[in-house]
Amino acid sequence: MAKSDITAAKKAPFVRFVKREGMKKRTVALYYICAVAAALLIGAVILACIGVNVFDYFGKMLTVGIAGSALPLRQIENYLNSFVPLVITTIGLSLAFKMKFWNIGGEGQFIVGAIVSSAIAFGCPDLPAWFLLLLMFFGGGICAGLYGLITAIFKVKFGTSETLLTLMLNYVALYFLAFLGNTQGEWNIFLNPESVRPIFGKFGENAVMPVIPLGGFSLNITVIVAILIVVLVWLYYGKTKHGYELLVVGDSPNTARYAGMNVGKIILRTVFFSAFLVGLAGAFRVSSMGTLSESVTNDVGWTGVVVAWLAKLNPFGILLVSALINVLQIGSQAAATSYMQIDANFADLLQGIILFIVLACDFFIRFRVIIRGREEKPKNEGKAEKEEG
Amino acid sequence: MKKILALGLAATLSAAGVAAFAGCGAEDEFVVGAIYINSQTDTAGYTYAHHNGITKAMEQLKLDAKTQLKIVDNVAEDTETVKKAVDTLVGQGADIVFGISFGYIDALEEKATEYKDIAFSHATGYKSNDKNFNNYFGRIYQARYLAGVVSGLKAKALDANASSYNLGYVSAYTTEYAETCSGINAYALGVQSILGDSVTVKVKKLGEWGNETNEKAYAEDLLTNHGCNIIAQHCDSAQPQIAAAAANKFGCGYNSDMTKDAPKGHLTAPIWNWDVYYNKAISAAKKNFDEYKAQGGNKADYMGKYVETVGGNYYGGLKEGFVDISALNAATVTEDAQKYVDAVKALIVAGTWDVFSGKALTYTVGENGAITVTPVDSVLTKNDNTPAGAVTDAVITGSMDYLVKGVTEV
Repeated sequence: MAKSDITAAKKAPFVRFVKREGMKKRTVALYYICAVAAALLIGAVILACIGVNVFDYFGKMLTVGIAGSALPLRQIENYLNSFVPLVITTIGLSLAFKMKFWNIGGEGQFIVGAIVSSAIAFGCPDLPAWFLLLLMFFGGGICAGLYGLITAIFKVKFGTSETLLTLMLNYVALYFLAFLGNTQGEWNIFLNPESVRPIFGKFGENAVMPVIPLGGFSLNITVIVAILIVVLVWLYYGKTKHGYELLVVGDSPNTARYAGMNVGKIILRTVFFSAFLVGLAGAFRVSSMGTLSESVTNDVGWTGVVVAWLAKLNPFGILLVSALINVLQIGSQAAATSYMQIDANFADLLQGIILFIVLACDFFIRFRVIIRGREEKPKNEGKAEKEEG
Repeated sequence: MKKILALGLAATLSAAGVAAFAGCGAEDEFVVGAIYINSQTDTAGYTYAHHNGITKAMEQLKLDAKTQLKIVDNVAEDTETVKKAVDTLVGQGADIVFGISFGYIDALEEKATEYKDIAFSHATGYKSNDKNFNNYFGRIYQARYLAGVVSGLKAKALDANASSYNLGYVSAYTTEYAETCSGINAYALGVQSILGDSVTVKVKKLGEWGNETNEKAYAEDLLTNHGCNIIAQHCDSAQPQIAAAAANKFGCGYNSDMTKDAPKGHLTAPIWNWDVYYNKAISAAKKNFDEYKAQGGNKADYMGKYVETVGGNYYGGLKEGFVDISALNAATVTEDAQKYVDAVKALIVAGTWDVFSGKALTYTVGENGAITVTPVDSVLTKNDNTPAGAVTDAVITGSMDYLVKGVTEV
């Protein structure tokens, strides 16, 4: 008996991670605040070392550049314009993630949505605005949905890895977009025919997303739609049969099968919705910009994965985390303009440090580290935290 | 725990307060805004050259780049991103905004209409209005002709009795852009003015503006497989020059003096002196701005005179000192090269002759080694042996889409 205990101890890895349960919400919040504070502190030290006014820099960054701007309203508009694609894309991705289907093809699906809706905008500029816009949104969304469906079909029929397939399809879409942007020809309706060098053309007025003017501020309609989508997805999880099925498949496909659910069909349906929303975000984006562009995604397909993880796939969490990450992104640009020693890469680096520390904190909130030999007395969780806090 | 929360909150609020306060100081100052395609911290290349030009011009005009220059860098050629960058700069108080990359064109045009009280200036583009938006570019082809003359002399010196000469040219693009093919053509004409019909300029196309690996590989291919002794270039890095020097051959760089990169191979490089234009543009906008400050009223009325003050669109050349070739590398060029360069340059600066005027140059060497240059009638011919016709500025900047006789793509 004693002998087998020793072997067991030897076999256990030196460091193990055990899921942490029952942490108080207040404690969790405190951890996050401490993580952000630590991240800002490290950033501050780096900034101070290269001779930047730390208060000015963080002040501009955390207020999204509104503080001290001559155009605060425009700054808010720009903030919202990059907030919307991030929220909708992340919500889309999270649908698949809930089912443990790792759709990291957000970039590709976004681009497909953008290209298809641009094709419609350039191809039929004379349709009435409301009809053209709807056509663009559904066209972009459905084609992106089908693009995502390719992976799901392979997964269901042949058990291929959706991670690899969605990842690789990103590059197919990305390089196709680059091809469209760089290849002049009679057939290429995407380019501006008047330009000597290849450059994307502008949409006609009918294809441009309407805005609601509120004094000096113009509210892009997609902001409202994005919030609506968040609520709808929340309802979808909690109140519909489809949503319930999705959650069951995510927890255990075998349970779902045992309960008589058609798992393959549920996967196909959910992945289609997931990619549809991502594509819709792409369609919204090009319509708001009034043109297509090679950097149309602004990396939301990647950032969305981080946001979804940090928000623990909760729709309202996604709304909140997107808002915060977007503060970092937009704020950094405004903050960096005044400092010659800070280029956009350095601003990205600072963002990266902050995100990394918050993610690390997130990890330690979710898991407990156990080192071999120093373990195993079930502690009173709450008490242990008080010591740490 | 509540205490810590409160403390955190207080810290955030006070940081925001300080920032709001800090933003208020600079209202009366003239501020320059710039949008760059690469990093403002670059130490070589296109963005570096512009950044250098702007800071140099600001220094000349006694403006403090530390406080009066706002930059958004790494801005892709994406209309929405560029518009956002303009908003940020104008929000930070910019009075003139420079955009250095071609693809910023639509965004700057739109924003110039929206912000009538701000001056806009766009490099390498073709759009403008008659109030607050102009564009600027230069006759770099003139510098390339000079580089061609220096290269021709060198090729002749390497083998005076050769029946034919091959020179290499690594180019981002060829006939797709007037900018690239006018450069290739000017270089070839410069070489031909020394070597006549016996020369072939062999061009390899990258298909992008910069790619260090391929720039090197293409130069090596020209050196080893195409019998080229001299490599010219229209691409971002010094790799073609480094490759030429490594093979004990020679070359002409671009954008910056690449003698420091390839001291044993580099002859000279066509370069831009962007500060010449930036000085002009910033002075013009500042003049409008100062008048507004002195007289008051509607700022747009004053800044709307920017295009008039700066003198419309800018297309400077050797004459203005806007383009030039870098100092000849004494270790590599022929002894007489400087004399040839000076003589040709004098003609162009005086305005009596230009590269695509249809006249070719002939040289006579006097007893004391002095060079006399004479333009003689000639017909500019495309490499498919058809006449090229008249070449106006509009052709050089816009519609040129052919290579001249003696140039082949390989």
